[in-house]
Amino acid sequence: MTSWARRRQDEERLRSEIEEHLAFQTAENVRAGLSADEARRQAVLKFGAVEAMKEGYRDERRLPFLETLMQDTRYALRRLRNAPAFTITTVLTLALGIGATTSIFTLVYAILLKSLAVANPNELYRLGKEARCCYYSAYCQEKEFSLVSYDLYKHFRDNTKGFSELAAFEAPSPDFGVRRSGSSEPAQSYPGEFVSGNYFTMFGIGAYAGRMFTANDDRAGAPPVVVMSYRLWQQRYRSDPSVVGSIFYIDQKPFTIVGIAPPAFFGDRLRNYPPDFFFPLNTEPFVEADADLNKPDTAWLHLIGRIRPRTNAAAVEAEMRVELKQWLRSHWGDMSATDRVKFPEQTLFLAPGGAGISDMREQYEHWLHILMMVSGFVLLIVCANLANLMLVRGMEHRRQTSLSMALGAQAPRLVRQALTESILLSVLGGMAGLAIAFAGTRVILLFAFPKAGGVAGIPIDASPSVPVLVFAFGVSLITGLVFGIAPAWMATRVDPIEALRGVNRSTMPTGSLPRQALVVFQAALSLVLLSASGLLTATLYNLENQNFGFDQDRRTVAMVSPRLAGYRPDQLTSLYRRIQDSFSSIPGVSAVALCTYSPLSGNAWGSGVWIDGHPPPGPNADNFALRDRVTAGYFEAIGNPVVRGRGISEQDTAASRHVAVINEAFARKYFKDEDPIGKHFGRDGVGSEREYEVVGIAKDARYLTFDLEKPIPPSFFLPEPQQDLDPKTGLPEIDSSHFLSDVIILNKPGATVAEVRIRQAVASVDPNLPVIWVHSLKEQVAGQFRQQRLIAHLTSFFGLLSLILSCLGIYGVTAYNAGRRTSEIGVRMALGANRGQVVALIVQGAFALIIFGLLIGLPLTLATGRFLGHQLYGMNPYDPAVTLAAVLALALCALAACLIPALRASWISPSEALRAE
Amino acid sequence: MLRVGNPIGDMKEKTDVLQGTLALMVLKTLDVLGSLHGYGIARRIEQISGDLLTVNQGTLYPVLLKLEQEGSIASEWGASENNRKARFYRLTRDGRKQLRAETRGWEQTAAIIGRFFAVKAEDLE
Repeated sequence: MTSWARRRQDEERLRSEIEEHLAFQTAENVRAGLSADEARRQAVLKFGAVEAMKEGYRDERRLPFLETLMQDTRYALRRLRNAPAFTITTVLTLALGIGATTSIFTLVYAILLKSLAVANPNELYRLGKEARCCYYSAYCQEKEFSLVSYDLYKHFRDNTKGFSELAAFEAPSPDFGVRRSGSSEPAQSYPGEFVSGNYFTMFGIGAYAGRMFTANDDRAGAPPVVVMSYRLWQQRYRSDPSVVGSIFYIDQKPFTIVGIAPPAFFGDRLRNYPPDFFFPLNTEPFVEADADLNKPDTAWLHLIGRIRPRTNAAAVEAEMRVELKQWLRSHWGDMSATDRVKFPEQTLFLAPGGAGISDMREQYEHWLHILMMVSGFVLLIVCANLANLMLVRGMEHRRQTSLSMALGAQAPRLVRQALTESILLSVLGGMAGLAIAFAGTRVILLFAFPKAGGVAGIPIDASPSVPVLVFAFGVSLITGLVFGIAPAWMATRVDPIEALRGVNRSTMPTGSLPRQALVVFQAALSLVLLSASGLLTATLYNLENQNFGFDQDRRTVAMVSPRLAGYRPDQLTSLYRRIQDSFSSIPGVSAVALCTYSPLSGNAWGSGVWIDGHPPPGPNADNFALRDRVTAGYFEAIGNPVVRGRGISEQDTAASRHVAVINEAFARKYFKDEDPIGKHFGRDGVGSEREYEVVGIAKDARYLTFDLEKPIPPSFFLPEPQQDLDPKTGLPEIDSSHFLSDVIILNKPGATVAEVRIRQAVASVDPNLPVIWVHSLKEQVAGQFRQQRLIAHLTSFFGLLSLILSCLGIYGVTAYNAGRRTSEIGVRMALGANRGQVVALIVQGAFALIIFGLLIGLPLTLATGRFLGHQLYGMNPYDPAVTLAAVLALALCALAACLIPALRASWISPSEALRAE
Repeated sequence: MLRVGNPIGDMKEKTDVLQGTLALMVLKTLDVLGSLHGYGIARRIEQISGDLLTVNQGTLYPVLLKLEQEGSIASEWGASENNRKARFYRLTRDGRKQLRAETRGWEQTAAIIGRFFAVKAEDLE
């Protein structure tokens, strides 16, 4: 606006200055004796061409760029309107490319780049470079200390001067049974988190309603308070203001809701199910029977601190290292021999904490990089295709361009016009791409992070944020430049004299080299994408169809939570008995058993083992095994064959001798040359070796959802009724593995059991016992490969897209070349060439390009295999079958794409061909 | 026959040279005569340089604007000798500095070219 106003002002000034000049000159001429009219005429003549002068004047004003830009834009819009088919195809192709890239970038931004919605996130530092879950030894951690006990947290908090606030919060993500006081509904389960009293102060966030709790609320004996998430308050309680200050029963314990967290705050890390309740750390013993707070040997807290202004993080890190050693020294008596041996190597690191605890970042980083690369490749192919299209368009406009040049248009201006057109197209494509990105991101989020009823989903918003908009705009602009530069350059390679000759008759092969190079480039990129999608699809197939060691058919898993319903450990065995009885009475059910964690449920528990009669493991020895606690008949219910001895049965009661069933991997690792049956081992250090007697060996079965490429680790299974004895005191230990949560239901062949019957069966045992979910074992297994499936499907989609685009490119070039050679074909046919020879002539040319593309693409596919590397389960990254399939797919599609124009060229009659221009 | 070539390009070159010298003339004129309006500048240049501006007095105005934007001259409205409203231009400090620099440059160039023209073949023997 200001420039427009200034322009008006300048024009006005110029006009009056010209007027004034002419008046002077006229007066002078009159004095010289001319008549008034003649004097004026002479003055104007002498002044010269006013319009040319104005042009010069405007040039001097240094605003011509904007003006010519607007002129060019208007011109480009007119040209695009005159070619609607071209415009629509281009914009759609671009929208696909930009949309794909942008939707992946939305995820990259949310997961890899975005900071938490807190005050000055760049001042935050967290303990630990790696994100760990959930419980570690408090005295000894491999590589670095990243989780701490409450005691160590207090030591750091009270002694580290570099932090203005240092907050702690738990690493596990537990669920809680929640019921509003006075409500008749059964308890519902929501995720929650224990955090230190200064958690909100440290993040610098205030309450949306009510107040946030402070260090004052985080004391032993303080009235129990809790902060609720905005999401739950809004969705479940319809923003009811009376929620603040009311009493909620959480795991049957009364809490006062003191405040609502701000809407954008989703806790200290991005996760699938963000917490809906924040509790002060000191209420943990109030809620949990088996509290971690005052266990000095359990590290379960993450730390994030706000560093003081002008403080160096490295100095704070050094300070904390000293404090760690001091603290460990003061607990020397509690440490095991192993811990003491490893004492010298204990250290810690501080890492930027503005994004919180980035476990999701670590989990998804590689996948997102793969997807970003794949979508970037698609965008490159789109660019190549459009460059090709624009070149053809440039050819068609050659006559016009040469005419413009002959009439005096300047080459830079013509280049600018061509560039304006392609940038305009790409911006239009970018806008359409944003719509596609929005839809695409929603679909991806839906598949990658499915929502569970009533619980918050992952806090990633599909709608574009400012960085995403900037990204999309930047990508559009760059795209426009990339595919527009070649045609724009071509525009200047035109000799004006050609305007006089019929350009269309010219046989000059202008532009055919860049176009062929583009086709080669496309073919190479497509080959890479096709082989990547082949590798990932084969990986998915291998993952889903591996031998898991248990039966998936006819099995349903229901998750219940006796802990949320407030059961005490001594009530559990009879509860499980009643659940088993109640389920067995459902028609169609053939067997029922419970376990702490079912296979591939995403949870697992493990511990070290000490074998009777073997020397105790050294400090660096790996004596780890997975542990599960199960009811009688578990192996039959899950379909995991017991290869020797017996499984867990009704004869294993609280009073009988303590037994264990081990898997084959356990037998191989710990009983190499011995018969394991009848041998003893324990899990609680030296002195516990006679705890369990091995009574059976089960076939290896997959429980862990990670390390899928590694052999199944050693595992052992314990009967639920038997409580481990503390080797020091000889008394039964409190052990939360007795809280079994997964009920396995085996149907009779052909029978189906409705979910509602399962829920009824649980309710008939105890209406307050929450059923968290019910699904088939098949769904549970498939759910573990959701990520891989999504990646494989997306990559395949992108691969297919690239194949189609490349074929279009090949088709375009072949058709164009065939068209140009029409008269040549006519001559050849007139001289006796048959159709086959004509087809061969055209196809040969096109196929040379494809083969060239394949030759360039092959080494690239090898690099891709390397890049995908360890993401490929059970696959050779250089798998020749996959590469061959990709080559064949590309070659066949390319053949089809160039055969069509070749056949069409061969059908023309020689006389017609010779007449053609 | 159609003329092959780029007429706009040719013209541009000529005006560039013209504008370079014109600017220097404007600066010198204002240096000598102080504050002056556009017509006065045009007249003065015409008187001294002969026919350089005879056909195209208008080309002066873009040059004036350019110089003003560069800060070499400043302008304001005022009344002329016969009481007409006119825009008066005067040299600024920067303009004076620029003029001195360009004058030196010109004199050097002129001296070098002069020496070249003065040299005869036998001088080089």
